[in-house]
Amino acid sequence: MEKAEKKWRWGFHRWIVLALIILNVVAVNLYAPVQPHIQVAAENIITEPLFTLPVIGDFYLTNSLIATILMYIVIILIALAVRNSWKKNPVAPKGIAGVFEMLVDMIYNMTETTAGKYAAKVFPWFASIVIVLLFANLMKLIPGFESIGVLRHSEHGYEIQALGNGTWSTLLNKEAHNGGYTLVPFLRGVSTDLNFTTALALIAVVMIQVIGVQANGVRYFEKFINVRNIFKKPLFGVIDFIVGLLELISEFAKILSFTFRLFGNMFSGMVLLAVVGVMIPVFLPSGLMLFEVFIGVIQALVFGMLTMVFMAQATQGHGAEEEQK
Amino acid sequence: MEKLGFNLGFLLVQIIAFLITVVVLRAWVFIPLQGSLKKRSETIEKGLEDARIAAEARENAEKEAAEILAEAQASAAQVIRDAKEKAELAARDVKANVDAEIAKSRKDALVDIEHERERVLGEIRNNVASLAIAAAQKLVGEALDEKRQHELVAEFFSGIKDGKVSILEGSKVAGENAEVMSALPLTEDEQKIIKGEMLNRLGEKAEVAFNVDPNILGGLVVRVGDKVVDGSVAGQIQNLRSSLE
Amino acid sequence: MSGDIVMAAKMIGAGLAMIGALGGGIGVGLSVQGAVQGMARNPDTYGNLLSSMILGIAFSEAIAIYCLVIAFLMLFVV
Repeated sequence: MEKAEKKWRWGFHRWIVLALIILNVVAVNLYAPVQPHIQVAAENIITEPLFTLPVIGDFYLTNSLIATILMYIVIILIALAVRNSWKKNPVAPKGIAGVFEMLVDMIYNMTETTAGKYAAKVFPWFASIVIVLLFANLMKLIPGFESIGVLRHSEHGYEIQALGNGTWSTLLNKEAHNGGYTLVPFLRGVSTDLNFTTALALIAVVMIQVIGVQANGVRYFEKFINVRNIFKKPLFGVIDFIVGLLELISEFAKILSFTFRLFGNMFSGMVLLAVVGVMIPVFLPSGLMLFEVFIGVIQALVFGMLTMVFMAQATQGHGAEEEQK
Repeated sequence: MEKLGFNLGFLLVQIIAFLITVVVLRAWVFIPLQGSLKKRSETIEKGLEDARIAAEARENAEKEAAEILAEAQASAAQVIRDAKEKAELAARDVKANVDAEIAKSRKDALVDIEHERERVLGEIRNNVASLAIAAAQKLVGEALDEKRQHELVAEFFSGIKDGKVSILEGSKVAGENAEVMSALPLTEDEQKIIKGEMLNRLGEKAEVAFNVDPNILGGLVVRVGDKVVDGSVAGQIQNLRSSLE
Repeated sequence: MSGDIVMAAKMIGAGLAMIGALGGGIGVGLSVQGAVQGMARNPDTYGNLLSSMILGIAFSEAIAIYCLVIAFLMLFVV
């Protein structure tokens, strides 16, 4: 009896998918997707700067800034919910707290196996980066991101058509000959903004150094400016010194690497979705969406895990301890 | 840089926002969750410990049960063994009794058979004597009277001549136990004569046993102690054969 | 006219930049091969190998991603 019901359910889902595909075809024929204007920098929603600071310069309200603020508000609200849920039921948290607990447990175990006794110091950064990036990467897949915004005059714009009473309009896939419109979305994927990824990379690399100093004291910097052997064994000392300089460069390379790995993955995902969505608007973007979910989770884990591994490496002493062995 | 969207202000905003989030997450999520995780792992460990203790207790109980069972089995085996032994003992007793009875009855039967044999041989002796006399009469004619012939035959078998044991004359025998062997069973009169003669020679305390052995053909063989007086026909024939050779 | 030439150069440059993704692809394939062989020989190390493999993939994929970023810069920024 139950088996038959299950079979019926499967058929039900299949028909839902088929109906959605047909709806998709109809919708695409009614309003064809428009190639969005792709640019690396976040778009300004208001053309005038909000305020101008003396050193920093003009400050615009960009769409990724709105998305960032929204994301942090969501994260902090969820943290509050977890805290309340934990206070209510510390033994077996339910709902979102249970999910968070599972995640935190997993991340903590991972940290402990790699970082050992410095796990308590490394863990908050690792976990924060993973959680923030999970939200940042997955929020951009919510419908409405990068598709709802303000219209702006442009040289290579598209014609528009009013919807309803004229408050809302839609772009048409028809190039306007003189002065069409382009869309500036309200929300844009947080991690497709270089400022966000750079900020995270800077924090990660700075915290790697901080944890290294906490673990090894001032000796940590011997790793970079290695003059210990330069008088005892001149040749190898010089080589050590150069290796130390390379380490210093590699720290800056880490910033670049962190920044552009995350940005490249997310931005390429955005471009891919936009381009494929215009070219083959039916069915294929669904698969790409799933792939983007995967990529987003993997990149969040990779960013966090790399931070954690580098921090663990920084806690392990460099040359001095090796020589003592 | 402008086209990449880098902006120091945004960068600072992002950094500060992220740091705020880290602090908030640490305070609201990580520390409580780590605490609860630690507590839970402790609880789980305690539970495991309890389970281990319970398992140990169960193991002990099982061991005791096994011991009790083993004891019971051992005692049962003991009981069975005892019972078997007793049964075997009883069986052996019964068998021994039966064997003894069988032996006794066999001995009785043997004695009976011996008596019967002697009786039959005694009867045969008379017949043999009559037949021998009849045959001799046929051969020799009626030279001898029948009474004389009977006496001769009796003498042949018993070795008693004129109320005396002929073979014992002239021979010196001494000892306590005498054994007299004849070819056919002797009559009671003859036995009395021989016994009296033997007692005369050996003394009042001597014992005389009578045996029958047809192989000696006739006459008597007397064995006293380690001395044998051979008055048998077979012995005489043997003597004759050895002297002829 | 000159704008069209610049546009064509941008496209060609982006395409050329993506050649670098070759190395990243080879690197990802090699690391996955090594990890899967290790898992097949010793299934107990599955978890460790998986995390190491993802880290290695991230490193080698980063090269391809840099190429992609350069291509994007050529297409959309310059």
